[in-house]
Amino acid sequence: MSRVPLRARVGLALLVGLGLLSLVAGRLFPEALASTCPLGMDPTRPDRTVCELAFGGLWVSLAVGLAAGALSTFIGLAVAAVARLSGGAVEQTLLRAVDAVFALPDVLVVMVLQLAGQSLSDAGAGGGLGPFGLMVVSLALVGWAGPARMFRNRLATLESQEYVAASRALGGGGLHLLRVHLWPALRPFALAVFLSRLPAAILTESTVSFFGIARMEPMSLGRYLGTSYAALIYEGGGRMVLPAWALLVLLVLGASLASQALSGPPRRVS
Amino acid sequence: MRAIAQRLLRQVVLVPVVAVASYFLMASLPLTTETDAKRQVSRELAASYRRDLGIGEPLGFLRPWEKLFRGERLGTSAQGITGDELLTKLSGSVSVGLMALPLALTWALGFALLRTRWRKGRWAALGDVVPAVAFGTPVFIPALLLAPGVVERGHLLPELCAALVTSIWPGIFLGTLVGDSLEAELSRDYVRTALGKGLSRAAVLRRHVLPNVWPAMLDAVGPVATSLLAGSFAAERVLGLPYFGQLYVLAVLNKQVAVVVVATTTFATLLVIVSLAVEVLRYALDPRSREASA
Repeated sequence: MSRVPLRARVGLALLVGLGLLSLVAGRLFPEALASTCPLGMDPTRPDRTVCELAFGGLWVSLAVGLAAGALSTFIGLAVAAVARLSGGAVEQTLLRAVDAVFALPDVLVVMVLQLAGQSLSDAGAGGGLGPFGLMVVSLALVGWAGPARMFRNRLATLESQEYVAASRALGGGGLHLLRVHLWPALRPFALAVFLSRLPAAILTESTVSFFGIARMEPMSLGRYLGTSYAALIYEGGGRMVLPAWALLVLLVLGASLASQALSGPPRRVS
Repeated sequence: MRAIAQRLLRQVVLVPVVAVASYFLMASLPLTTETDAKRQVSRELAASYRRDLGIGEPLGFLRPWEKLFRGERLGTSAQGITGDELLTKLSGSVSVGLMALPLALTWALGFALLRTRWRKGRWAALGDVVPAVAFGTPVFIPALLLAPGVVERGHLLPELCAALVTSIWPGIFLGTLVGDSLEAELSRDYVRTALGKGLSRAAVLRRHVLPNVWPAMLDAVGPVATSLLAGSFAAERVLGLPYFGQLYVLAVLNKQVAVVVVATTTFATLLVIVSLAVEVLRYALDPRSREASA
C-alpha cells in the first residue's frame, strides 16, 4: 500500500466513503435521513426528503457506474488484446472501429440504444434485461472505445521492453506473453482505466435519465432531478439540485484523483 | 498530402457508416401494435414508421432522405419534421454552439493561466479540483440553477444562458490541455533565451510560445465541439429552446424513428465538418503539419 501514491489513496478513500455512505444512508437505513434531513421534503414527492432521494440516487448511479465501467473496461481490454495479438490488417480495422465509436458523443448513442433496447424489452425480446441491465449494456457498448485505445497503446509500450523481447526470443507465444508478462504490468493501469470510466458512465447515465429516456427504478441521481425539474424551475431548485451536484462532484473528484495517480508510465525493470 | 487525404477520408466515411447503422438498428425494432397489452406505438406512428423507413423495399435506407429532399414530412403529423424545419432547428443549435465557443475559449485561457500560476503555490490542489468540479457537473445542473431566472422571470436570454452552461466543461478541459502544453513550452531553452535577450514576457508568449501551443489546442477542438453540441441537448431541454437537441430528445421519447435516423446522421455530419475544418486550420497554422504531409 505504501507504493500507492497519496493522491490515489485520497481518491480511493473518497470513492469508498461515498459508496459506504450511499449504501448506509440510501439503502440500509433510509429512515434515519427522513427525520434529520435539513433540506426538507421534495416538492414532487411529499413523502420523501431531499436527502433520501439524493443518497438513494447516488447508490443507484454508483452501481450503474461500477457495472458499466467494469464491463466497458473488460471489452476494451479484450479488443486491445485481440488487436495486438492479431496485428496487421485486423489491428488497423479494430482501430478504425474504435475511432468511429469514439467520434460520436456517448449521450446520443446511449439514447438510441435505450430506444432500441426498450422496444425489444416491450416486445418480450429483451433477453431478461431490466432497465438497470439495459443501461449498463448501453453504457458499455459506447464506453469500450476509450479503454481499447488506451490498453492498445499501453500494450504496445510494454511490448517494447527488454524482458518481453527476451521472453519472445525464448519462444514465448502471444498468449503466454500476455498472461505471464504483460498482464501483471497492466493491472494497475487497468484499475486506472476502470476508474476513469466510472464518472463518465455515471454522468452519461445521469443525463440520459434526466431526459426521461431511461426508466431507472429505483431512481438514479439523473432520474431524480429529471422527474422533478419542472418543480425545480418554478419553486427554486437550488435546495434540491445542490446535494445531487455535490455528490456527483465528489464522486468525479475521487475517481479522477485515483485514476490520474494510478495511470503513470509503466515501471522499467532496473 | 496523401496523409491528410487519408485522415480526411477516415472522417468522411463515418457519415455513411452512421447513416446505415442507425437505419438498420431502427428498422429492426419490433414496434408492435397488434394487441392493447403489447401495443408500443399508435397505429398512426406504426404506419409512418413503415412508410418513412421504406421497410421491405429495396434501397429502403435512402427513403428518409428522399422524403426530406422532396419536402415531405417525416414521422407523424403532430411530431414529425420536414427538411426545412430540420435545418432551422440545426441552425439554432449551431448558433448556440458558436456562442459557446468563444466563452469556452475564454474559460480555457483564464484557467490555463491560473493553473500555471497556482502550480507553484499553495493553491496547487485547485488545478485538480476545478477540472473535477467542471467534469462532475452535467450541463443540466447549471441550467437548472439558471432556469428560474430564464424561464420563469424571463430576465436572461435563453440562448446566451444555454451557451454559458454548455461552455463550462469544454472550456476547463481545453484549459487543462493548454495549461499543460503552456507549461511544457515555458520551461524550454528558447523561452529563456528570448527573455534573456530582453523581450517582454508578453512578447515571448505571443511570438514564440503560442505558435507552439496551437497544435495541442487544435487536437482538443474535436472533443470540445462534440461536448458543446451534446451539452446543448440538456441546456435546450431545460431552458425550453426548440432547437436540434430538443428535437432529438423528443424524437427518441416519442419513438419517431425516422427522425432519429436522420438526426443522428446529421449530427455525425456536423462533427465530420468540424473535423475537416480543424484539419484545414492545422494545415494553415502548423508548419510541422505541412512539412509532414509534403
